[in-house]
Amino acid sequence: MSFEITHIALLVVGYLSIMFGIASATDRGWIPSRITRHPITYILSLGVFASTWAYYGVVDLAFQYGYGALAYYMGTGALFLFAPVALAPLAELVRRFRIPSLADLLVFRYHSQPVGTVATLFLVAAVLPLFAMQIQAVAETLRILTMHTKAANSLVSSNINFREILAMGFCWVLALFTILFGANHDKHRGLVTAMAFESLVKLSALMIVGLVAVFGVFGGMGELDAWLAAHPENLELLHSPIQDTSSHTLLLVFIATGVAMPHIFHASVVDVPIARSMRMVSWAFPLFLMLMALPIFPILWAGLEQAIPLPVQYFTLGVPLILGSPTVTLIAFIGGLSAATGALVSITLAITTMIINHWILPLSRLGAKRDLQTQLLRLRRLVISAIFLAGYLFYIILGHNQSLTDLALTAFIETLQFLPGIFAIAYWSKGNRFGLITGIVAGSLIWVVGLLIPIITGWHAITLPYVGSITLGMDAWHTITLLSLAVNSAAFVIVSLLTSQNAEELYSASLCAEDELSHPMRMVLDVHSCEEIIERLGQSLGAALADQQVNRALQELNLSVSERRPYALRRLRDRLEANLSSLMGNAVASEVINRHLPYRLPETTHTTDINLMEARLGRYRNRLTGMAAELNNLRLYHRNTLEELPMAVCSLGHDLEVLMWNQAMERLTGIASSDVTGSYLGDVPEPWNQLLNDFSDSQLSHLHSQQIELAGKPHWVSLHKSSITNPTSESADGQVILLEDVTEVKVLEQELIHSERLASVGRLAAGVAHEIGNPVTGIACLAQNLKYDVHHSESLETADQILSQTDRISRIVHSLVSFSHAGAKNEPSHETVNLTTCVDEAIQLLSLQKDKTQVEFVNLVEEDAIVEGDSQRLIQVFVNLLANARDASEQDGHVFIESHVSQTLDTSSKEGISELAFDGYEVTVTDEGEGIDPSHLDQIIEPFFTTKDPGEGTGLGLAMVYSIISEHGGSIDVQSPADPDTQKGARFIIRLPSRLNSDAFQSPQENATETI
Amino acid sequence: MQPKNTVNTQRLLILLLLVAYVFSPTVFNWMVSPNGVWYRPFLVWLLVIVIAYLFQGRSQNGQ
Repeated sequence: MSFEITHIALLVVGYLSIMFGIASATDRGWIPSRITRHPITYILSLGVFASTWAYYGVVDLAFQYGYGALAYYMGTGALFLFAPVALAPLAELVRRFRIPSLADLLVFRYHSQPVGTVATLFLVAAVLPLFAMQIQAVAETLRILTMHTKAANSLVSSNINFREILAMGFCWVLALFTILFGANHDKHRGLVTAMAFESLVKLSALMIVGLVAVFGVFGGMGELDAWLAAHPENLELLHSPIQDTSSHTLLLVFIATGVAMPHIFHASVVDVPIARSMRMVSWAFPLFLMLMALPIFPILWAGLEQAIPLPVQYFTLGVPLILGSPTVTLIAFIGGLSAATGALVSITLAITTMIINHWILPLSRLGAKRDLQTQLLRLRRLVISAIFLAGYLFYIILGHNQSLTDLALTAFIETLQFLPGIFAIAYWSKGNRFGLITGIVAGSLIWVVGLLIPIITGWHAITLPYVGSITLGMDAWHTITLLSLAVNSAAFVIVSLLTSQNAEELYSASLCAEDELSHPMRMVLDVHSCEEIIERLGQSLGAALADQQVNRALQELNLSVSERRPYALRRLRDRLEANLSSLMGNAVASEVINRHLPYRLPETTHTTDINLMEARLGRYRNRLTGMAAELNNLRLYHRNTLEELPMAVCSLGHDLEVLMWNQAMERLTGIASSDVTGSYLGDVPEPWNQLLNDFSDSQLSHLHSQQIELAGKPHWVSLHKSSITNPTSESADGQVILLEDVTEVKVLEQELIHSERLASVGRLAAGVAHEIGNPVTGIACLAQNLKYDVHHSESLETADQILSQTDRISRIVHSLVSFSHAGAKNEPSHETVNLTTCVDEAIQLLSLQKDKTQVEFVNLVEEDAIVEGDSQRLIQVFVNLLANARDASEQDGHVFIESHVSQTLDTSSKEGISELAFDGYEVTVTDEGEGIDPSHLDQIIEPFFTTKDPGEGTGLGLAMVYSIISEHGGSIDVQSPADPDTQKGARFIIRLPSRLNSDAFQSPQENATETI
Repeated sequence: MQPKNTVNTQRLLILLLLVAYVFSPTVFNWMVSPNGVWYRPFLVWLLVIVIAYLFQGRSQNGQ
């Protein structure tokens, strides 16, 4: 059976168009994201692992190694089976630091650009045979299908190698597909979906061929068993080779493939979309591999039974071909094509990333280029084309008669050289770059000499002086594999132990070995703002890209552009490095970042990054087990104790970086912990900045009652400090400062002193008044007598003046005595007082003072405003208030006295029924003067406080009013300005209860209202 | 509590690995025994997948 070349070409183009269509539809959002983002899609996309070798070559492997061939699936399957343990740490690292490839991961861990260059070199060398194998498989199967057609024959007759033309066409179409869908990171999802589809196609095709083998060739499972019983040599073929130790080596090689083959690393570690997929992959991918492996043996036996005149490695195509089923044959061909397509595209992309990141970018000087992203995209397209060309040339060099198994094993054995280095990433932090490079180079050279060169040249042995003939090539693959791995591992370990890591590598190693709970050092960054970072990065990346990257990183970290905290800037720097890594590779990103934002080692030793440690412990809390979990719980308990401590506490590092700022500290300072943690003490806002800095510098361990100004008001704090000893060394690592708000105590203290002073003044005044009163009365009597006794006009005038002055003295003395009595808290006498009458009397009294400003008092107090109290003292209240109002008013101004019934309800009574809580009157005295200066509002009640000219007022009036009203169980408020429109006038509001035993009225506080 | 669950899962996994290691020669011999059906290794493989699926379900419930 043979097919027309045009038909097959159409089929190939049709299939690739479907791939294009799926990738394109996904990018345009035509395929629902629940399908494209489903874990099954991800797991199927991992199927790129199963290249044409898993489709065609494994049948040959099964023929050679029997059950040993299953090692190919089991090795990788086991790796994924233990994915949550084996792959998760790597996947986590890759996700955190946006590491785009295996070489970048190695560069990240070993902190060395040469590691990336060397790794890329040998990984490219490793994938070339695999690449050539895919092309060979497609070209060979195409040739098999079109073997006897006219077109093929005519091409052969015209001396053009038919296979090579087919292979070249296939390569160019695929290169185009890869450039369109793989070069741009944004179109990545489309590629993943297309790869998943590709896996589904090859799995279905292989299963169909398997079923055809069992039911088409043998007639059923029972018949197959019978055939096996009749041909025991085939069963023997399954078991005998497995006794050979080479099966175990195969297993080792295939485990390495699962993680070290660039494209499989990309699919299994870099591309993990969600954590759920990581868990699901542990059973779903081994299931996929099992389904892929299941048809292998039936296909082999069917091929042997049919005596297909093809190499064993093409039995998958040969079985349906020999049965004469064109549909199944084409399905089998499409399956193989699909496998090759997936493998070629994913290998190219993985290698492109490495080549750009580790070969091209480090060599090209990154100036302030415009639109770096476009340049990178162009570069990727160029490199993709170059890789396809190189792969094709390698295929031509190798020739088309290579065994697929040999090519695949050659590739896989080289990836094994990376296993020690990968293992050390998470599990051996002492492994260093010198060890790694020595190991990889030593192991790889053995591989190059032992396997790669022989496969190209066809050598089978080499004769060395003194040693004799050494077998090379695939005949000795087992020995070469073990030898290269042993030399590699030994060199890695020995050189790592003999040489030392530098600080950066140590830092990276500790970052990778998360479980070791190492002490990450607090590095010093000499930038102080985000703008500075943008400016510096702009020199390499161009201003636009630098700005875009910094803003993106800030957004991801939930930081603002005004951030100045060293802790935050360190996080920003690390995030920038990670983000740039995904753009241009770890090495170049790291170089750019290190050039512009270098880390310095702290001058003081043992500066542990407590914040980073805490953040990590918080993140990995669920992974801690046993003693570590207990210790973490203990840490949380102590941390919460400090956080909830009702005293303000902050702790500082040796370099005065704020490491902790507890809740009480937040309340006291009004500065959120998230704003200040990780910043230097010098960046804390005033007044705390100076206070804390001075105290942390001083030798004193206690500082009492330091006055600071907060919101315009004085506050007092006491400070205490103590040094913290570093847990890993004996030296002091920092200090803990405790702040105590003593404002209330201080205010009370001051009030007490003030009251005491006032009380003494009061006592003194009363004594003086008493002593002065008697002689003054005597002087007044004598002056009166003088008035009667003399008739001389001048003497009469003198007597009048003496009387006037003594009267003034008497008034002052009287007010002093009244004040001192008022302070005695006498109970007012219980009598019914009409407030209108009181006000009238007060007006009457004041109207006698003709020498004062003349104003009109308007008494609007209701007639029935009656309270219980002492009428004389209430008159005194009104006299004082009205006199003040008059003094404040202008000539012919008005002073209004009004009253309202004042009732409030108590809704908190036991029965839930509202009760009358206050019943009384509210009397307001409003003037039209200038009002009271807001700064005087809290002082006007104080004794001896007056704004009047000396000799005009004693400053005792309002103090006495307050005292009398308080005795009556009332309260007094003042509003200034009284008229909000003119901003003038003052209003005194007195609330008096109707009955004396009523509870004191507590007026609600109002704006611009001072209750006194 | 989740951490406790993780601890148990990991311990169980280690125990399972130990059991698998101890019994691997027996299981391997049984698997490749010429007297049995050719797809015996696949049965063991399927069993491992089912166990992995159950484990995965457990750890998912735990979270």
